[in-house]
Amino acid sequence: MISLNRETIVAILLLLFCGVLFWATTQIRDPGFEQMGAEVWPRIVLVFLSVMSLIYLVQSLRSETADEDPGAASMSWLARDQNPIWCFVLFFGFLITMPYLGMLIGGTLFVFLMMSVLGGWSPRLMLAHAAIALVSVGAMWSIFTFGLRVILPEGELIRIF
Amino acid sequence: MIIEHVLAAGGELFTLKTMALMVVGTLAGLLAGAIPGFTIAMAVVLTLPFTFGMEPLQGLATMIGVFVGGLSGGLMSGILTGIPGTPSSVATTFDGFPMARNGQPGLALGIGVWSSFFGGTVSAVLLVSLAPQLARIGLEFGPWDYFSLVLFALTITASLAGENLIKGLIAGALGVLIATVGEDEINGVARFNFGTDALKQGFAFLPVLIGLFAFSQLLSDIADKHRARQPLSDSGAEAVKIEHRKAAMAVLSRWVNLLRSSLIGVFTGILPAAGSSISNILAYDQAKKASRTPEIFGTGCEDGIVAPESANNATAGGSLITMMALGIPGDIVTAVMLGALLIHDVVPSPSFIGEQPVLAYGIFIAFFVANFIMLGLQSVTLRLFVLVTKVRMYVLASIILSYCAIGVFALHNVQFDMWTLFVFGIVGYVMRNLGFPLAPMILGVVLGKIAEVNLSRAVAISSDMTMFVQRPWSLFFLLLGVFSIFFPFYQKYRGIQLWTLIYPIAILIVLSGPLFMMGGIARSLIGAFMVLLGGYLIWSNTRNGWKLEGPVDAPVLREG
Repeated sequence: MISLNRETIVAILLLLFCGVLFWATTQIRDPGFEQMGAEVWPRIVLVFLSVMSLIYLVQSLRSETADEDPGAASMSWLARDQNPIWCFVLFFGFLITMPYLGMLIGGTLFVFLMMSVLGGWSPRLMLAHAAIALVSVGAMWSIFTFGLRVILPEGELIRIF
Repeated sequence: MIIEHVLAAGGELFTLKTMALMVVGTLAGLLAGAIPGFTIAMAVVLTLPFTFGMEPLQGLATMIGVFVGGLSGGLMSGILTGIPGTPSSVATTFDGFPMARNGQPGLALGIGVWSSFFGGTVSAVLLVSLAPQLARIGLEFGPWDYFSLVLFALTITASLAGENLIKGLIAGALGVLIATVGEDEINGVARFNFGTDALKQGFAFLPVLIGLFAFSQLLSDIADKHRARQPLSDSGAEAVKIEHRKAAMAVLSRWVNLLRSSLIGVFTGILPAAGSSISNILAYDQAKKASRTPEIFGTGCEDGIVAPESANNATAGGSLITMMALGIPGDIVTAVMLGALLIHDVVPSPSFIGEQPVLAYGIFIAFFVANFIMLGLQSVTLRLFVLVTKVRMYVLASIILSYCAIGVFALHNVQFDMWTLFVFGIVGYVMRNLGFPLAPMILGVVLGKIAEVNLSRAVAISSDMTMFVQRPWSLFFLLLGVFSIFFPFYQKYRGIQLWTLIYPIAILIVLSGPLFMMGGIARSLIGAFMVLLGGYLIWSNTRNGWKLEGPVDAPVLREG
């Protein structure tokens, strides 16, 4: 029986991705006056990508890989990538709260939380993290707002006060 | 005429404000290059928003300062701690670190600094003299030739992924696909927006690039919990006095190595998609092969520092030649530089130097001057570097991530760009972990639109597809593209399989064809020389009975 390794799964996902996008090219509007339709170039690239993905799939099926327990593999992946996953979650939170907290408060909070999650939650560290977050984001916010005259998102919270 | 342009550009560049900005830029680049995990591309990207309010030449001069400083900064970390600050200085550590441990850190740093300076100066001279010539050749290019050039750039980047050629090609194609999202440039028809207005404009290039490259790099740096809490370097790097006089003499006495390595650097830079992460290893390898005492390489010999450091700085000039003359970026850093130029409403193309000579020559002079500033600032940066190495990785990563977000927002003042950064940060991180090289993908994003526009123009002019092989330049680039695909296999099987003896001969003879097709005395002579060289190789191999020499210890070339 053929066991699916990581590379095989990626190759299959790539082929599915190509399929979906190829379908999406059929939805591209045809203005009817052009020499080369807007869908031609994406299709050329998709055909090439599909062929490469197919070769990748064959390569992955032919390569010898140790049998992996998918459950254990995903657990080890979660354990190994804990820090990046936290970063993604915090960055997502930073973006989603941006309309309310704005760049200054949201950015400071993001830097503080990220440093504390990655570095530790002891009172001494938290104090240091808070100071670093405030100074670093505050300084950059000031440079952009007052020095470069870039209007950074203010956030509803600041508007209330 | 040229003197007039140089004088006019000098008048704009040599103002107190611009010089001060260049000093700050070079200092920032030196520091960024010295910090392991912090790349030159990230430094250039973070500098970009600060240049928005500046005059184009001021902004570009500042960024060139960052670029040149970054290339030289990597040597500090490599020599003092053994960890290269950037991929451009990997080979510097081979001899720089042993020399520092042998009790000569000041001399090792000095040789690195002076080699960088001379390498940069050589490439600056070549930049001024070659860029206008290449631009003149570029004016001969039609849409067919441009399209083939882009294809060649993409295949050569993918081929530098080594044994992961397929992954490199997939990454390149994905990059091109990303560039197709949004309204197409010819007809203005929306593609792959799935009914959302935000995607109608497509993805802005710089947020994609920062996400794919910088965001994912930062996350990779802090992925290891233990390492994330460690200072950037715990090897106790100390500021030492750079022995400038002794080092300068040592470098100049090795002028053959210096010149050869600088030329390798410039040539690697001129090649689309090959950057300083490759040139430093190539130059080191060539210096070792040419040396009468190759056995001392790796023990702390001067030649082992001169070669990579002169080559990596010279690459900057080479990549600027291609970018300014043809509008094709040489590597990730020049891709960012191209984005910066576009933001300042400067569109590099073959006609750019002729149409905006003051700006073009200003860039040339800025590159030249940045090398002098770099030389003067090394001692200051060394002290700062020692301080920065005490910072913990997670602190630096958290701050830089927030700066990336602010910088990306400031590009177009839209929050969608920050979401783009986030999404492509995830994509970049996953791709890195799956072993997909990111350089082809990033260049795919940059070059995808150029390829499509030129293909469309070619089709509009003539429906005859054989034009792609009838036109000499197009054929030349297509053939180069085909050979570049086989390059990783050539590297792997060199000296083991018979076809690797035929490969260089085939390149010489086959590529001479388009040169003859171009006509003209110079190109025909080059073509004839290539045929003769190919003939000589056939004769030489026949005399040796097409004997294979066994596996060759070739330098491992990888994107950085």
